[in-house]
Amino acid sequence: MTSSLDDHTSTATAAPAVQARHLVKRYGDLEVLRDVSLEVPEGSVTSIIGASGSGKSTLLRCLNLLERPDQGDLAIADEAIRFDRNPQGDVVGLDRRQLQRLRAKVSMVFQQFNLWPHFSVLGNVIEPPMRVQGLSRRRATEVAEHYLARVGMADKRDAYPAFLSGGQQQRVAIARALAMEPRLLLFDEPTSALDPERVNEVLGVIRGLAGEGRTMVLVTHEMAFAREVSDQVVFLDRGVIGVAGTPEEVFDDPRCQRFAAPAT
Amino acid sequence: MNNHSQEGLADWAGPILQGALTTLEIAVLAYAIGLVLGLLGASARLSPWAPLRGLATLYSTAVRAVPELLLIILLYYAGSQALTAVTNAMGFSGQVAINGFVTAVGVLAFVQGAYMTEVLRGAILAIPRGQLEAADAFGFSAWARFQRIVVPAMLPNALPGMSNLWLILIKDTALISVIGYSELFFTIQQAASSTRAHFLFYAAAGVIYLAMTLSSTALFARLERRLRRGQPNTEEA
Repeated sequence: MTSSLDDHTSTATAAPAVQARHLVKRYGDLEVLRDVSLEVPEGSVTSIIGASGSGKSTLLRCLNLLERPDQGDLAIADEAIRFDRNPQGDVVGLDRRQLQRLRAKVSMVFQQFNLWPHFSVLGNVIEPPMRVQGLSRRRATEVAEHYLARVGMADKRDAYPAFLSGGQQQRVAIARALAMEPRLLLFDEPTSALDPERVNEVLGVIRGLAGEGRTMVLVTHEMAFAREVSDQVVFLDRGVIGVAGTPEEVFDDPRCQRFAAPAT
Repeated sequence: MNNHSQEGLADWAGPILQGALTTLEIAVLAYAIGLVLGLLGASARLSPWAPLRGLATLYSTAVRAVPELLLIILLYYAGSQALTAVTNAMGFSGQVAINGFVTAVGVLAFVQGAYMTEVLRGAILAIPRGQLEAADAFGFSAWARFQRIVVPAMLPNALPGMSNLWLILIKDTALISVIGYSELFFTIQQAASSTRAHFLFYAAAGVIYLAMTLSSTALFARLERRLRRGQPNTEEA
């Protein structure tokens, strides 16, 4: 059960941004992910869809190791994750230094935004580059201003998050993720906590990012949106991949249609 | 005898002011050290490492369960005996008397630290999980996460409890008089027994303690407003 991901990828022209093999994740007796394998090519958009409790968010959170898989192999941004394993091959630990290095290259946008309320908008965006990448305040501010403008929030740079609408907070959270100039962007149901009239302003920003050829993995309930922006769609069903492929393949598949038909 | 009855508030103003200053010095130092002990204690209480958790729980539980007056006396004698034992072992003979100021600060800080541990632990637990998760997801080191996210996020929650502890601490400095160190209360006792004007001096002491606590309450309120500037609708709370 030792990792041999490097051997697999040596022949490819460009290593995929994510390569997950046979991931298993349990909470006690409950198996949330049961042998999930996933490959995300560089520069592509992958959407993970599925019913509540199907393991979508857990799978996404395994990709920056906010959840630690119990079994399987994982390579992110050309780096195989060095799991500590017991003799049975179960994952029991992680290399903290590698973890921090990896997370600096993978940014996440959360369902509940998770902005830091004690920092202003600008403060939220400059904090990770300053603390994690060691950027100077001046350089971090330049980067932050660029991405705040990109998401249309430049004029709110001095506001505190609690005074913004959900859609505005999520756009700031996207700017914060972009300011790390990550190799991989993860979105965990980015519009699920928003009022319906605020959903489009956030989807608009994500659509723009997809158009720039950024590597993104997106967990979403917005079926039409997933169909429109994705290069690859993964339909998770009770912890296993039901169907995976191009949006057309997945949404036209009868197994997925039972779940997604009303929305498409 | 005649001399004594002539003595009044004016004669004692200097020593009393000096005592009040000493009280403030003891309180500020003990508070600062107690805050550090509290941060360490709270971090230890929330640590994933069980022995550390146990040690911190023992500290905060035991200290809070024993009267402070008793702790002050115990630590004063235990401290001087321990020091004497150490110096005797090193070949110096004789008793070591510990400096009253150091004892006062040390003991009060030790007690404060235990209460502070619980105040800060509660405040840290009240931080919404997502804020910490965001720091983790961006690859913050443990120290960056603590210093930049945990501390500023918990402070608004901790401040009412911290302000409470400060008031209790100012009043607890009076207990230090039992070891004979001339802070405010000890000086007042001397003045009162020397002049026989008991009511006058104890009332003056009350006014001075009141002035200290009221002015610091106002400072804490200002600090809390500043720390809550990112939160709407807390002005009237």
